[in-house]
Amino acid sequence: MSLLLSGEAVEVAYGDIAVVRGVNLEVREGEAVAVIGPNGAGKTTLFKAIAGMLALRDGSVRYAGARIDGRRHFEIVRQGIVYVPAERELFPQMSVLENLELGAYSCYGARAERLKFVLDLFPRLHERRRQLAGTLSGGEQQMLAIGRGLMSRPRVLLLDEPSTGLAPFFVSEIYRQFGQLKREGLTILLAEQQVPHALGFTDRAYVLENGRIHLSGTSNELLGNAEVQRAYLGMA
Amino acid sequence: MFAILLDGIVQGLQLSLMAVGITLIFGLGGVLNLAHGQIAVVGGIVTALCIGEGLNPVLACAMGVLGSGVLGLLMDRTLLVPAYRLAGEERLLLGLLVTLGLSFVVNGFLDVRYPTVALTLRLPTPSFALGEVTVRTASAVVALIALAAFGLLFAFLKLTLLGKVVRSIMQNEVGAGLCGINPARIRTLIVVLSAMMAGLAGVVQGLFSSLGTELGNEFTSFALIVAVIGGVRSVNGTLVAGILLGIVNAFASFYVGAYLTLLILLVTAAGTILVRPQGLFAFRT
Amino acid sequence: MRIVSERTALAATAVVLALVPLALGGSPHFLRIATLMLIGMAYAVAFNIIFGHTRQLFLCLGALAGASAYVSVVLTMKAGLSPWLTMPLGVALAAALGGAFSYVSVRRGLGVIFVGIVTLVFSMIFHNLVLGLREWTNGETGLETKGLGPAVLAGGLPAYYAILGVLAASALVYHALMRSRAGRAFQAIADDEFAAELAGINVTAYKVLAATVGSAILGVVGVVHAYYGGFISPTIYALGSIDIVALVTLLLGGMGTLLGPVLGGVLFTLLDELVRPLGRLNVMVYGILIIVLVITFRHGFVAMLRKRLKIHLP
Repeated sequence: MSLLLSGEAVEVAYGDIAVVRGVNLEVREGEAVAVIGPNGAGKTTLFKAIAGMLALRDGSVRYAGARIDGRRHFEIVRQGIVYVPAERELFPQMSVLENLELGAYSCYGARAERLKFVLDLFPRLHERRRQLAGTLSGGEQQMLAIGRGLMSRPRVLLLDEPSTGLAPFFVSEIYRQFGQLKREGLTILLAEQQVPHALGFTDRAYVLENGRIHLSGTSNELLGNAEVQRAYLGMA
Repeated sequence: MFAILLDGIVQGLQLSLMAVGITLIFGLGGVLNLAHGQIAVVGGIVTALCIGEGLNPVLACAMGVLGSGVLGLLMDRTLLVPAYRLAGEERLLLGLLVTLGLSFVVNGFLDVRYPTVALTLRLPTPSFALGEVTVRTASAVVALIALAAFGLLFAFLKLTLLGKVVRSIMQNEVGAGLCGINPARIRTLIVVLSAMMAGLAGVVQGLFSSLGTELGNEFTSFALIVAVIGGVRSVNGTLVAGILLGIVNAFASFYVGAYLTLLILLVTAAGTILVRPQGLFAFRT
Repeated sequence: MRIVSERTALAATAVVLALVPLALGGSPHFLRIATLMLIGMAYAVAFNIIFGHTRQLFLCLGALAGASAYVSVVLTMKAGLSPWLTMPLGVALAAALGGAFSYVSVRRGLGVIFVGIVTLVFSMIFHNLVLGLREWTNGETGLETKGLGPAVLAGGLPAYYAILGVLAASALVYHALMRSRAGRAFQAIADDEFAAELAGINVTAYKVLAATVGSAILGVVGVVHAYYGGFISPTIYALGSIDIVALVTLLLGGMGTLLGPVLGGVLFTLLDELVRPLGRLNVMVYGILIIVLVITFRHGFVAMLRKRLKIHLP
């Protein structure tokens, strides 16, 4: 499996304060990789930097061999990296269909086929397709955000805390769908606080604390790691 | 009574036409354009100059609207660039001050160069009968123009991809970026569109009565009031607010007099901001 | 960096301004210009407190000053009361209005822009009230105030020094305010209002304080302006006459600084005189100036002097 996305010595700062420092990470094509860590560890900052929404103070981000740090975030979408933020950032007064349609902006011609794919994946969205996005439940909005992201045929999906605010039932459901996406070859980078789900689903994982990579390894290794168990899995 | 109502609706449509540009630029670009009235006046003056050169009136109006559009384009590509680099409140503030400066520049220039130029468009038949009511042809034409303009605008926003992109940016600029949309180009389009609506409003004023270089600030003020009451981010709200305020204005002027009417409108505007800042009539963008 | 203390700056400025009439060679025309310059500086001090330090975009400076002026003049003229009685009334009105706008805006959580729009609307309301209540205000034509106000404001050197006194008092109020706990609160609020609130600073109280003090100064200057100028009308207190002057003065001089209003006032007056032969084209110059200043010269003359001379001027 070839290296698709990587970050070298990534440093991101807000003003003078470095929020992410010296982060090295790699994602190979077809892999699912998790970034876990406590609140405020810098997961969202790291993801936003990869997606081009924040500037790097130091280091670089490479995608398919070329550097992408410094590119504008809407350009990076066209290259095939789609970021789905925890806040979802939907268009509240537009319908589910319209939201999805706009997700296909960068490959508008193929939207019919992509729409079918997404609605098959998320039958709930198909039921609610004419409903305004602002009136959907939390779980449905999350699905819509992911669905919208998928509309542009991404090669890499950056999912930021997709389980936030979701009922356990919904969480299981979306992770089922993530599994299907992975089987279809999508590369997934996932930031999560729901560690059991994240480690159960992904191949490899990084533990981010205070802006630095604290631990890394295969997800199975980390599941067995005593520190991870204590800190994130609630086992004494 | 009916005559006053009709008059009010037509006036209201003109108000909406004036105000929608402000709503579009604020909702999309996050900038309050205080030079809006001046852009409208430029449209009217260009039209008047063209007519003076013997150009066909309809073509002259088109030139006027285009002229406003060009001014809007220049403004967006030069003056507003520093504002777009900022975000949120900083952008609002810089945009407000820069457009304020522009309003002065345009005012000053027009005042000195064309102090006596005014646009007055007379129609061949000043009025006609609609049932029992005598209708000013000008009013009918204005209503048609305004309705056509709004019709086209709504069709654009609701039905075309570009229109949906515009709405998406207005509803969530971050979200639009996540879809691969580059807001900058769309912003320029909207600024030009809004400038042309302003130019149209200026030309329409020439139909109603007359448009002179000194009307710039008054236009901006009225546009601002209507946009605020209707909802600075909502195009629907602006249309409804304009028509309603036009009706209120017509009736109040008739019964109570111009000053008091204006005061009522102003107090309503202030009250709206204090009670419901998103606008009294803001619903789907 | 050498630091110039605020007291030194204040004293030096007062002395320099006090000596200005000597340099003018007794010309009443230039004295009048210099006196109006002082008035402009005082307006800028008020705006500095309201906007420069607490980011409340009051676009109704002229309206507040004018409200104070009209109340005082009309009461003196029509009710025959002494100006020394009516002036405080005008000031009280301005302060109350300014404080009220601030209070309501903070309570409603209005952003900078909406405060701007509300105050802009208020200035339009003021303008229309003055035009509408023409039996009292004489509408657009205005009212003559010659001989109406305190004798010291009638003109010439006494007026210059009296108004210099007003300016000095305003600057002293500014200085005292900024050195007190309020000043530190203003700084915190300007940096990050939300964080200041979390840190336990009563943002509402301090913003209202800044607005009230600033508006009170506006009221004083407005009323002094009325009796000195010999004439009041809606145009004198219009947006384009007062708000713009205060804004450009502060932009030129430097917001949030003590010397900003003074340096800005001098620069603005010089510019105004330079531009006078252009006639009505001066409006265009102001516009270009605002644009250029706001984009490139954001921090004003004081900041530039600080960098060049390596002295920390207040």
